Amino acid sequence: MTAAPPWLEILDDTIRACATLRRGDLVDRLLDRRALLLEPGRRLVVTGYPGQGKSQLVNALIGTDVCAVGDDLTTVVPTVLRHADRPTAALITGDTTEAPAVESVATHANKLALVRGDVVRAEVGLPRSLLGAGLVLVDSPGFGAPGCPRTARAMAALAEADAVLLVTDATSELSSLELELLTQVGKLCPTVLVALTKIDLVPGWRRVAEADRHRLAQAGVAAPLVPVSSTLRAAAVRAEDRALNQESGFVELIGCLRRDVLTDPVLVAAKAAAATSGLAVDQLIAPLREEFDAGPRAADTRAVAEWHAAGRRVERLQRESARWQTTLSDEVADLMADLDHDLRERTRRILREVDDYFEAADPAKVWPEFSDWMHDNLTAVAETNSQWLLDRFEWIAGRVARQVVPDARQLPAEVLRGLATEHVVGLRKPAIEPFSPVQKAFVGLRGSYSGLLMSGLATTLAGLPLINPISLGAGAAFGARSVFEERGARLKRRQAMAKTTAQRHVDDFFLSYGKESKDATRLIHRALRDRFAEVAQELRDAAAESARLIKRDLDAEAARRTTRAAEVRRELERLLALRARIEAVRGRGA
Amino acid sequence: MMSAILGEGVSVERVAVDWPGPVELMDGETDADAVVYLQPQPGTLPDTDAVSTLVVFSRADELGGGRVDALVSARGLARRHARTSNGCQDVLAVSGLVALAGATLTPDEARLIASLSTLPRTEIDPLLLSADRFATYPDPAAVALPTRLGLFGIRLSIATARRGLRSHDALAAELLRASGISDLRESITRNFVDRAPVLQALSALRAVDTVLREDPRPQLANDLERLMTSAHEPRELLLLAALRTGRVSLGEHTEEALYLLGAHGTSPATRLTLTNGDSYAAALHWRTLAESPHHTTRERQAAHTITRTCEALITTGAVH
Repeated sequence: MTAAPPWLEILDDTIRACATLRRGDLVDRLLDRRALLLEPGRRLVVTGYPGQGKSQLVNALIGTDVCAVGDDLTTVVPTVLRHADRPTAALITGDTTEAPAVESVATHANKLALVRGDVVRAEVGLPRSLLGAGLVLVDSPGFGAPGCPRTARAMAALAEADAVLLVTDATSELSSLELELLTQVGKLCPTVLVALTKIDLVPGWRRVAEADRHRLAQAGVAAPLVPVSSTLRAAAVRAEDRALNQESGFVELIGCLRRDVLTDPVLVAAKAAAATSGLAVDQLIAPLREEFDAGPRAADTRAVAEWHAAGRRVERLQRESARWQTTLSDEVADLMADLDHDLRERTRRILREVDDYFEAADPAKVWPEFSDWMHDNLTAVAETNSQWLLDRFEWIAGRVARQVVPDARQLPAEVLRGLATEHVVGLRKPAIEPFSPVQKAFVGLRGSYSGLLMSGLATTLAGLPLINPISLGAGAAFGARSVFEERGARLKRRQAMAKTTAQRHVDDFFLSYGKESKDATRLIHRALRDRFAEVAQELRDAAAESARLIKRDLDAEAARRTTRAAEVRRELERLLALRARIEAVRGRGA
Repeated sequence: MMSAILGEGVSVERVAVDWPGPVELMDGETDADAVVYLQPQPGTLPDTDAVSTLVVFSRADELGGGRVDALVSARGLARRHARTSNGCQDVLAVSGLVALAGATLTPDEARLIASLSTLPRTEIDPLLLSADRFATYPDPAAVALPTRLGLFGIRLSIATARRGLRSHDALAAELLRASGISDLRESITRNFVDRAPVLQALSALRAVDTVLREDPRPQLANDLERLMTSAHEPRELLLLAALRTGRVSLGEHTEEALYLLGAHGTSPATRLTLTNGDSYAAALHWRTLAESPHHTTRERQAAHTITRTCEALITTGAVH
């Protein structure tokens, strides 16, 4: 064998390709195969369905009863026969190796396999020229039900074959199962032979052979069919009868083996390696080809839909911002008008009450309690009004918030706090003249003086002195009257003054509170607007950001896909090139 | 094989015969009450219905290259399979080719065999090595003989002739005997024909079951299920097969059990032959056996089945 045959390079390339594409299973299989292919000697696996005479054929081929033969199902584990200068035997189980007698090793192995699951194979070394020419014979178990250990062992033996000899007996034509097996085997191992056994038993074996050849041709299996009789061969070996040996068909079978397997073992190995690599490469190519044919995958429709949704959201938020601002200012204008009207009406009512009250009451006497009443009332007005203002603002804020943040309940409640409710200053006491006793005396004197003077003048006419009792009496009467009148006038004046004072006070309150209230409204309005603008801006930013992120992911995904497609193409081209090399080796073989 | 069973060449798919009793033989597996499953060589047995199946190694003569003891060896294998298998009533080794040859042996063929047997061994043995070689013997009948008898048949008949049985009738009888066809006939009679009513009933129930699977009717399906699982006759048949093939042995009571199970006839009187017609005593006896601690579970189960048979005999006077 040359130092580095071309098939080895191909096999190594295939192993590397498998490793690149992370197909550890294939790598292991190929490495096992590589080791076996590098061994000297080509493995010829004798396979077929049970009861066709496989073991019998192997025995006849080497002229010794080594493989176990029986009437019922006999071979359960493979027997490997190779050349040795003197007979050796080994029974290989999972972890041990025994060395029983050469004649009984296969029988022993098969019996042991019925009770133990870990019997791997029996190995026999024999000094035979056929084996010495570089042939390793493997007698494999017959195929049984799929999945049973016997079938698994048969498959394993086949997977290691460099050449395959399918055994079928002449009592019936090739079954469809056997043809199927042949087709599969042909893919795995290109050197295939078919032996038609038991031709001594069947008078019409020539017809069967013809039919089988026809079937093989139909199935496209290029395998030579050799009719043989193990019984005749055994008899010929015993009797050393050349004519009988010729008749047994084994001369032709051995010739076939020498021609197809032994003349050019490198070629057989190359073909087997090419077939194995070809299978592995095909397994690698299939998924890649599928991916390649599918083309660059359309972008993830879900991601695209998300991106569109994000874009629409940004647009909608912008549209909404104009709308909510209008709503807010409209609402605030309404609120101002309403508040103004409410305040006006409430103060008017107070004034009307004040008027009614001071029709009768003397401000001088009731002022302190009036003042308290007034204070309370105005405070109540201010409180009600400002409470209303707050409530309304809260409602407005809710409404606008629903527009700004349609899907969240994010009420900027804190902006509403801090509206002062203390707008009522102390009611200034109106300047009310006190009607002191001195004033009373003076007024009385002034009244009594004129009365005295009038009566005195009148009574002087009657001869009485100016100061007389009558005039004195009249003076007193006039004095008293003027004092009384003076008191009434003063009361009226005081009442008018109190009303005016109250009026002015309420006006002051109206003005100052109105101003405060409007200021507060504006303040809150502004605060609300700013806050909402801020929130809306945040929302817009978030939406824009998410849209951007989605877009970035989409772009990255697209880039990745493009790279992957290029990778797949490169890999595929490499594998196809490898395949072409394999085909070249195969073609040389054929 | 149908030809071999009948003893004459047939080429149709269905034959009605008087077995005794009407029996229809047919080729193929559809709507049969019982099946004889043909398997050319010994191997893994098919998975079939235990009550209504017989497995036959139909080309037993080809075993071991058609050597003279091929059928004896095949019969041994068949017995071993019968003991270990639960998927059929019995396993038999038969050579259809030899059986048919035995039934239709012509005087010419008998004469040829007789003359061959007189030849010295050195002359005859090379001829018997292969069919091709035998056909070279200078006699007009020799060409067809391997096809008719097979190598096994030729070797067997020559060996028979050497022992002195050279007449046509003796050779034919020996071929028939060796082919094992009588075993098959007897087995069919015993396992199928005698129990035809049970097999027919089972087959009918299976047909109903198939129909119910396609058109489910829960109530009917339940009734059917109960009927099929509680039916006593299939168990009787299974036990009979087990006793005959040696899967179960009841020691000294085996013969009585066979009678009770209807192996020799299903009339109450026949069943009770060995128990003096006293079904009540039989029931008691078998119940004791069924509860005996000296027996294995399988034996106790067998005894239990027989107890049920006895009980049926007591209550209704018949098992069917």
